[in-house]
Amino acid sequence: MTAPPRFAVVGHPNKGKSSIVATLAQNDGIAIALEPGTTRDSHHYPLSVDGHVLYELIDTPGFQRPRKVLAWLQAHSASASDRADTVRAFVTQHRDDPRFHDECELLTPILDGAGILYVVDGAVPYSPEQEAEMEILRWTGRPSLALINRIGQGDHLADWRAALGQYFQIVRDFDAVRAPFDTHLSLLRGFGQLAPDWEAPLEEAVNHLRDQRRHRQHRALGLIAEALADMLTHAESARFNEHDNRDALEHDLARRWRDRQRRREQTLRRDVEALYRHRHLHRREQQLDWDGGHDLFSEQARRAWGVSRTYLATAGFGAGALGGAGIDALAAGHSLGTGALIGGVLGAAGSLYYGGKYADKLGALKLLAPLAGGGRRAEFGPVRDPQFGYVVLGRALEHWFQVSHRNHAGRDPLTLDHGDRHWLEQLPRGDRQRLQKALQNPPRHQSDGKRRQALEQAVENAGGAFLEWRKTPSASG
Amino acid sequence: MSSSPLRLLLDFDAQYRRDRDQTPAFLHRRDRRLALVREQAGATPPSLAEWLHAVGDGRHPTAPLRRWRRLNGGLVLAGGVLGVLTMLGLLYVTGPARINVTLFLALVLVQLLLAVLTAGQSLAGWRPWGALLDRSDPDQPAPALRPLQPQLAGRAAQAGGLAFAVTALLTLLAQILVRDLAFGWSTTLQTSAPAYHGLVDALAWPWRGWLPAAVPDLNLVAQSRYFRLQNGQPADPALLGGWWPFLVMTWLCYVVLPRLALLMLAQAHLRHRARRLLRDHPGVAALCERFTTPWVDSGDEAPAAVPLTTPAPSPAPQPPSETGTLIRWAGADDQGRLRPRLGEARVLDAGGAASLEQDRDTLNRANGGRPVVILVRAWEPPTGDLADFLDDARAHWGAATPILLQPLATDDRGLAPWQRFVARRQDAALQLCSPLPADQEAAAP
Repeated sequence: MTAPPRFAVVGHPNKGKSSIVATLAQNDGIAIALEPGTTRDSHHYPLSVDGHVLYELIDTPGFQRPRKVLAWLQAHSASASDRADTVRAFVTQHRDDPRFHDECELLTPILDGAGILYVVDGAVPYSPEQEAEMEILRWTGRPSLALINRIGQGDHLADWRAALGQYFQIVRDFDAVRAPFDTHLSLLRGFGQLAPDWEAPLEEAVNHLRDQRRHRQHRALGLIAEALADMLTHAESARFNEHDNRDALEHDLARRWRDRQRRREQTLRRDVEALYRHRHLHRREQQLDWDGGHDLFSEQARRAWGVSRTYLATAGFGAGALGGAGIDALAAGHSLGTGALIGGVLGAAGSLYYGGKYADKLGALKLLAPLAGGGRRAEFGPVRDPQFGYVVLGRALEHWFQVSHRNHAGRDPLTLDHGDRHWLEQLPRGDRQRLQKALQNPPRHQSDGKRRQALEQAVENAGGAFLEWRKTPSASG
Repeated sequence: MSSSPLRLLLDFDAQYRRDRDQTPAFLHRRDRRLALVREQAGATPPSLAEWLHAVGDGRHPTAPLRRWRRLNGGLVLAGGVLGVLTMLGLLYVTGPARINVTLFLALVLVQLLLAVLTAGQSLAGWRPWGALLDRSDPDQPAPALRPLQPQLAGRAAQAGGLAFAVTALLTLLAQILVRDLAFGWSTTLQTSAPAYHGLVDALAWPWRGWLPAAVPDLNLVAQSRYFRLQNGQPADPALLGGWWPFLVMTWLCYVVLPRLALLMLAQAHLRHRARRLLRDHPGVAALCERFTTPWVDSGDEAPAAVPLTTPAPSPAPQPPSETGTLIRWAGADDQGRLRPRLGEARVLDAGGAASLEQDRDTLNRANGGRPVVILVRAWEPPTGDLADFLDDARAHWGAATPILLQPLATDDRGLAPWQRFVARRQDAALQLCSPLPADQEAAAP
């Protein structure tokens, strides 16, 4: 069995080596943990599938004394044929020399068979200062690929491409922070082109990573559906005694209910971030200030993610008609569609009634059965306003989109925002009605399999529509 | 390993809730590994019971079922006591002369109706006593048990009913054994002995073929009729005891056996519902997905962040006007903005693209008797090359020559590594100047 391909990510200090590794290894801890230029030891990041390693990335320290290394090599080489041996001799000679610790650390995996991924910053102008590094790497004789990362705003890609082309087999542009997932896969395929034996494992890795992404999307939308069901059905309860102040109790329960909904939304976000292995994500969203701004219960949130009364009435009619059609089916069509019509009218009327000003009709205090020991059970919730489901869903989909499309090299806080047009425009009419029905009839408990599956399917469709919407230019806000 | 679907449901739900605190990566890795071990042994993925055995810690949540066990026990006890009392009441209150068979049959009918109604509410998922039970238990039942409340209540009621039926039967048999019971039949309805015989004959249908002794004949029916206002004694008192085999078989066939059958049905329905709930449990689909989806691990090792302490910033000097030499390190270029401040300083280059010989030449040409300013790019971290150059410079110019590192910077972000670099060198004559704004074109980022 042949050893899996290995790739040493090398370069000048602070040119984004760790960012490249963080993005490709999907590990945001790498980009966060290290101050630029402080990597002193190599770190290995194997990609394994069920324990079988397909390839390995090695994050290495930057060159510290390339000119001295090159001078030593030139002084100890007799001809072009002994260059790789001379590099090995250099490492053997200087393994214990603290001055060349970093060079030995980065050259060792290359001499042990790793391919070279040389990283430069395409945002700064090309200068010949790094030619000593490139020359050393060329002396190793190993397959090599140059990656032009862009850390800043400048654009000197053409100059870099021309220069790097003289030293490396393949030259690729790769923005570790902003490159989309398909570009990651394309880059991995590029690694496979460096040696004939590497193509198959890299292709296999690409397929697994693509499947993993699909699986994560499915799981994330499942988490959203679960949270949605939880939030739509949640009720706060307390004991109400005869002499208690009803208004005060209602106010207290409403506050607890809202706080709990906010916490549940935060839990969902953490779960989605953990699923995509963003463990160091700092979220920046105006809603963090819960008293205003983009609070879950603010008017701004409704405007951003809620729907119009016309939409509610139309979708409510459709959802009601879907239910009423069941009666027609039971009547074997003899009711001439009356069931669907009545269901539709009732659905539209209910949606219109409760879909008024957001937050006014979220819930109301209900007094339930007497309790042992006196008093009655008082309950606030579940939510009555159909807008709430759309607001929660829209915010959750936006967060999921941002997290799933964020590279692990990103260090900027996550900014959640919305566009001018509504994502529901991308959802086909039938799916809108099914979504409305699922939001109106969420599963009351975890074993309510039929409703749960309906909601999961509706959220899955909504996720697909949201992705389509995000591809439109007006959605970027 | 648990085999009862109800126990399996509870164990699975408890594990599912514990797993919600774990990371998705851990769960996937753990469950996929289990599936792979089975796959390598040529087996299918583990069943839920096997999975629970493998991942669980052997704990079984007993609290959720404890309440129902108590309720079951209470109902069985109450049913048993009530069965004895009811049968004694029937035998004594309607006696002592003759025990009315019609009343006995009415009790059988009531019991049968109750059993069927209980089964109906359980099958329909209706909880007529739900509010009462909830009041007695302020704690909410375990989430997994909530949808099973009607079936659990139905099973408890059938168990109580069976206890009632069995103890009543035993009481009847005991009374037959120790007492001289006389049975007769009476009704206000205008009915004849043959019609009444037709009724009992129909009721005896299940055992008529194999136990004819327990089927009253027309003579017995005719002889045992009595009227409340009739004071005469029956023609043959010994004949009236002949009802008992029929009554025992009636109670057995129409009360005890239906209760037993419905209890078994309730138990089977409960198990069926528990199995369906388990099948529809949200955790099951996710678990199967984890079993079948390959575990892709892209390396979880994050380099340990070394806590770096940046020395407290000391007053940063400006390059002195008596500077003798300005060295542009590794291509750092201030576009001539510094020179007017440095008087007659000589400008030299080192590092970067320059060769090591050029570095040595720069050291030789520099005026080591006066302060030396080295221009560096703040956004490039200090390298070993620069450290070597400074070592050589010290050797050339002596320990007293002031060396000032003048960073070109676009902002303050890159300065910390330079402050630490200067502190690490422990060179009293080496200082870091306050940054000079970099020319945007030259700095690019």
